[in-house]
Amino acid sequence: DNVVRSYKYSPLTFLPLTLFEQFQRAANLYYLLMMVLQCVPAISSIPWYITIIPLISILSVRGLKDLSNDMQARRRSDSEINSRPCDILISQSFRTKKWKDVCVGDVLRIHKDQVIPADLLLLCSSEPHSLCYVETADIDETNLKYRQALSATHNELTSNPSEEALGAFDVVLCEEPNNRLYTFRGQLQWRGEILPLDSEHILLRGTVLRNTGFAYGLAIYTADSKILRNSGKLKVKRTQMEKVFNKVVIGIVLCVLLAALLLAIGNGVFSTQVMRQTDALSALVVNSDAVYTGFLVYWSYIILLSPAMPIALYIRFELVHTVHSLFIGWDLEMYWQQGDKPAQARNTSLNEELGQVGYLLSDKTGTLTQNRLLFRQCCIAGDIYLMDLSWNPFSCGGLFMSAPALVDRLRRNQCPLSRQFFTALALCHTVMAEWKEQAASPDEEALVGAARELGWVFLSRARDFIVVSEMGVTRRYQLLALLDFTSKRRRMSVLVREPEGGIKLYCKGADIVILERLQKDCPYQERMETALELFAEACLRTLCVAVRSVPEALWERWNKTLSQSATMATCDRDVLLEELYDKMEMDLQLLGVTAIEDRLQDGVPETIALLQEAGIKVWVLTGDKKTAVNIGFSCKLLDPDSRIVEWQELQAEFDQRPEWGATFMSLTEHCRSVLCCRVTPAQKAGIVNMVQKHTSSVTMSIGDGANDVNMIKAHVGVGLAGVEGGQAVQNADFALSQFRFLQRLLLIHGRWSYRRISLFLRYFLFKTCSFALVHVWFGFFNGFSAQQDVSAENSLKFPELYHSGQKHELSSPLKLSLSLLYAVYASLVFFFIPFGVFYNTALDYQTMAVTVSMAATFTATIEIILMTRYWTKFNIAAVVVSVVLFFICTRITHNTRLFQQSPKDYYFLVWLTALLTAWTAVLPSVTAFALNVILTLHDKHK
Amino acid sequence: DVKSYRKVQEDDDADGARVGGNEKFTNRPDNTAFTQQRLPAWQPILSAGIVIPGFVLIGLAFIGVGVALFVTSRSIQVLERDYTGDESGTPCASCANSNVQNCICTLNITVETLFKGPVFFYYGLSNYFQNYRRYGTSKDDNQLYGVLNPSDNCAPYAYNSNNQPIVPCGSIANSMFNDTFKLYQTVNGTRQEVSLDGKGIAWWTDYNIKYRNPTNNPLKDAFNGSNSGLFYRNFLINPIYWSKPAYELDTSDPSNNGFVNQDFLVWMRRAALPDFRKLYRRISQDKYPDGLPAGNYSLEITYNYRVYRFSGKKKVVFSNVSWMGGKNEFLGIAYLVVGSMCVFMSIVMLIVYAKFKFPDEE
Repeated sequence: DNVVRSYKYSPLTFLPLTLFEQFQRAANLYYLLMMVLQCVPAISSIPWYITIIPLISILSVRGLKDLSNDMQARRRSDSEINSRPCDILISQSFRTKKWKDVCVGDVLRIHKDQVIPADLLLLCSSEPHSLCYVETADIDETNLKYRQALSATHNELTSNPSEEALGAFDVVLCEEPNNRLYTFRGQLQWRGEILPLDSEHILLRGTVLRNTGFAYGLAIYTADSKILRNSGKLKVKRTQMEKVFNKVVIGIVLCVLLAALLLAIGNGVFSTQVMRQTDALSALVVNSDAVYTGFLVYWSYIILLSPAMPIALYIRFELVHTVHSLFIGWDLEMYWQQGDKPAQARNTSLNEELGQVGYLLSDKTGTLTQNRLLFRQCCIAGDIYLMDLSWNPFSCGGLFMSAPALVDRLRRNQCPLSRQFFTALALCHTVMAEWKEQAASPDEEALVGAARELGWVFLSRARDFIVVSEMGVTRRYQLLALLDFTSKRRRMSVLVREPEGGIKLYCKGADIVILERLQKDCPYQERMETALELFAEACLRTLCVAVRSVPEALWERWNKTLSQSATMATCDRDVLLEELYDKMEMDLQLLGVTAIEDRLQDGVPETIALLQEAGIKVWVLTGDKKTAVNIGFSCKLLDPDSRIVEWQELQAEFDQRPEWGATFMSLTEHCRSVLCCRVTPAQKAGIVNMVQKHTSSVTMSIGDGANDVNMIKAHVGVGLAGVEGGQAVQNADFALSQFRFLQRLLLIHGRWSYRRISLFLRYFLFKTCSFALVHVWFGFFNGFSAQQDVSAENSLKFPELYHSGQKHELSSPLKLSLSLLYAVYASLVFFFIPFGVFYNTALDYQTMAVTVSMAATFTATIEIILMTRYWTKFNIAAVVVSVVLFFICTRITHNTRLFQQSPKDYYFLVWLTALLTAWTAVLPSVTAFALNVILTLHDKHK
Repeated sequence: DVKSYRKVQEDDDADGARVGGNEKFTNRPDNTAFTQQRLPAWQPILSAGIVIPGFVLIGLAFIGVGVALFVTSRSIQVLERDYTGDESGTPCASCANSNVQNCICTLNITVETLFKGPVFFYYGLSNYFQNYRRYGTSKDDNQLYGVLNPSDNCAPYAYNSNNQPIVPCGSIANSMFNDTFKLYQTVNGTRQEVSLDGKGIAWWTDYNIKYRNPTNNPLKDAFNGSNSGLFYRNFLINPIYWSKPAYELDTSDPSNNGFVNQDFLVWMRRAALPDFRKLYRRISQDKYPDGLPAGNYSLEITYNYRVYRFSGKKKVVFSNVSWMGGKNEFLGIAYLVVGSMCVFMSIVMLIVYAKFKFPDEE
């Protein structure tokens, strides 16, 4: 069947799976161990069922969260996908069924614009020669591809169009299901013939049938389809803070073990020295064996000290993360009205990393720019024509006035070069004539649109001809070959036979590839190159258009080799094709240069400048060079004295000597920005990995297209939900609609998140350690605190504030050990001041415990008050509620009339002692706070 | 153009905000103070002008409290006498060295001036670890609430060798302090007993809530095998160190026996630290409303409790109390020290502040 199951849990497997997943966390295992220890009566301090409550609750909260994720997100999308309709041939007639009902061997009818439900073998289509077009935007960068049925099946089915014939295929042999999207090998055994199959005949699941009335296909892979095989598991990303936290936890565990050991040794000594002599105690030495007693006491102390590792911390960590993610989604200023798209934190656990970003690696097209292209200028035969200046932000190109001089020339038929130029534009593309919605490639749409406006109208396309109206005259070009565009080749060509009989190759591509393939002494070449410079300076995207007249003999030779290659194995064929294409695309004559404008998005220069001020190193990775450099200048990325690295040159060196990566990185450390030109998608990911490897900073990558996916997956990834397909967003941790929202995401949300998490961590460390060290447990204190030290406006106004995150200032080992040291100090105070007061008095054990815990509560409250710089009603309520809760709980757990006994000498003493203890405990931090106030005051004066 | 475009967008925003659930913008986040993190908030702006005087004020307040505590503590009268008898020549030396039960020794006490009432009479022990964990858990709360079967907590003081349950069980009860005291005032050569008040010296909660006798009446029945609180009929055994059963702790007052005996309750409430005192009696306020008048007194001690094996000390303490409880100089001094530290810190801050504010004058 064709059912997609991306959910993890079923009713049966949920419990074991979730338990298995959760006990992989060290903390949960630790608490399980504690619970087991509590079950041993000789050492337990509290009944085992009390320790099980927090453990059960943390397990169930996490489990339920996972389950609801699974149910809501995955199951719903699964069932949505599984119940999409499709037509299946059942007993000689097509019936509408659901996607999940498709089985291997079923014959399907796919309509125009329908998403293909399984990997299909194309049998025939409504178009001539059973050609059909598929849009592969969800799979790769190139958009439209054509697929063709075997001529055998095409002939059979078109000559005898019946449902019976469709169901009459014998055997299809396929290779094992795999994840290679671009290769397929198989054979069709039909009527005694063996017909080889390759990827040309396959329609992949997830692609969309375009421009084709309908197509029939035979399902060959269903649940094993290549695209599903390809969707890898998402790597779990851990934040640096989490790593620090885990280290701290390990440290605490070691400390607890050590402390327990020392205390147990102390107990052993006490047992032998003191207890033996005390009648009342001697019998309590277990089995009269001091060592055994000490051993038992060791485990008791491990239990007693276990609150030093608070079980709730992980839950609260997660809670804080979730709330921060919600805040990101709720931010109106990151909501894009035009697209009705709010920002989205897809990965909830990376928020505080946003506050520590040191490197931002950005794609250019569609990320910095709008990816809405307008044909602005062109240079034909050395003359530059300005196309349009009346700019309209809502226009998608096409509606513009043309340059009168050019129209004149074209009308008067003076200049054959300009006619050829537009013929090339009208022929050399993969646009479909019926294509009314968004174009497969915005570039091509702009170019074809421009040709249309000037009289060269692309009318229709069939498998082997293209119809064009040239200044009102309809001409039919026979399409001999299409040498398609790849990001490696960076050019595409069409080989056509003109109605007059001559063979022409029209080629368009990046300037650098075309210029090196020109014939010698090409006319106007110098003037064209000047024009190229000019266009690039104006931040226009340039393409060169060239032509070649192909002699009949050459074509025949070439075609022979081409048809031979069709029978070869895929990998060999690719090499051969490349060579073959290279041979054809030479000796070109340059016709002209097109200049397309891709406007910068709103606020890009400001955002980049702000991020740079915040100390973030901005890298732009792009495929072209000159335009990129100019865009770099226009968006304040580059200063006039910047240097530009060409990645192509470096790549070879890096491959040979990996150690150069480090040298390069140490060089770039001095650069505020780096522009990497002529980078392929695979290299983009390579650069991100290199940056990540050689720096301790957090790297963030941002991109919008499928070609940025690898880069986005590497570390903190931001996907722009732009014009191109949703691939980038699917794989990103955060989704934005506009580049400029990045400043809010990083400088405001990231910074707050980082501050909140790190202060929260330090506070928690202080609180738990100091309390655990005096062996007083109370878990009712609410440690969740909101932290906004600087308002949103000021965060943007003073980007320098961001530095603290990059330097890990708030979570540095120094700061953490300071809080630990402070915790030790506080615990000493907690114990020894009450000790002094209670020494040689009639005050009992319980009173002392209450005093100490009261002092600890006061201390924690004062600490929270000191840390909070931004008081909302929620903070105030939280502080008040937690203090009130403490007193209520003390009353319940201790006794109802604690302060009401005789003689009444406790009341004031307890309060006074608690107050004194608390104040003494917070004195260092209050002093530090006060000094800080005085010193920052000084800064402000300056 | 850009401006007008922005303007349009702003207008749209305003529209969207007004309409709220506009169909066109279904994904638009709510514009509330909470979601936008723009809650009305109070950001205290602190300056040296607040911080330094604040520190001084807190310091002065602490010093004030410290002085009050110290002065009050000084005014509290305490009379403390050791009666361990571990040194020869002391009144109880003979008792300490013999194993005689109910050995009686007498301590002569002279009160110089009027000992203002109410006067509290404590006994004190030192080097005694009532806070030892296994000691502290060695009792059975259910038993002390009237269900007489001892639980495992009490081991090894739960059953005797004949498997008879011990009541009250556990180490704390077993080690109950059993010296008794009688105070006499010598008036014109004749000894006149000072009446001591033993009522209400235990915690209200202990007496009324935590501890409860079995319902048998008389109480003795509960201990001789006819009680209802036991799962099987058996004779109950006193704790090993006890010379008399729980129902005979106070022969003068039948209601002050069993688990709710005041002395028992006081003992069962464990001390926090190894040196402690526990309330024994109050000087009866009916007969001595002003406190103990000056004069000679003699304290007759029934010496039973052995402390020499763990080199402990025993003492009696007479003390009166004030609003702050008993005498406690540590607290007053600690307040003074912390208060002075605050004042000192504020001076340091002032210097730092002055240095930064007027750097040129330096």
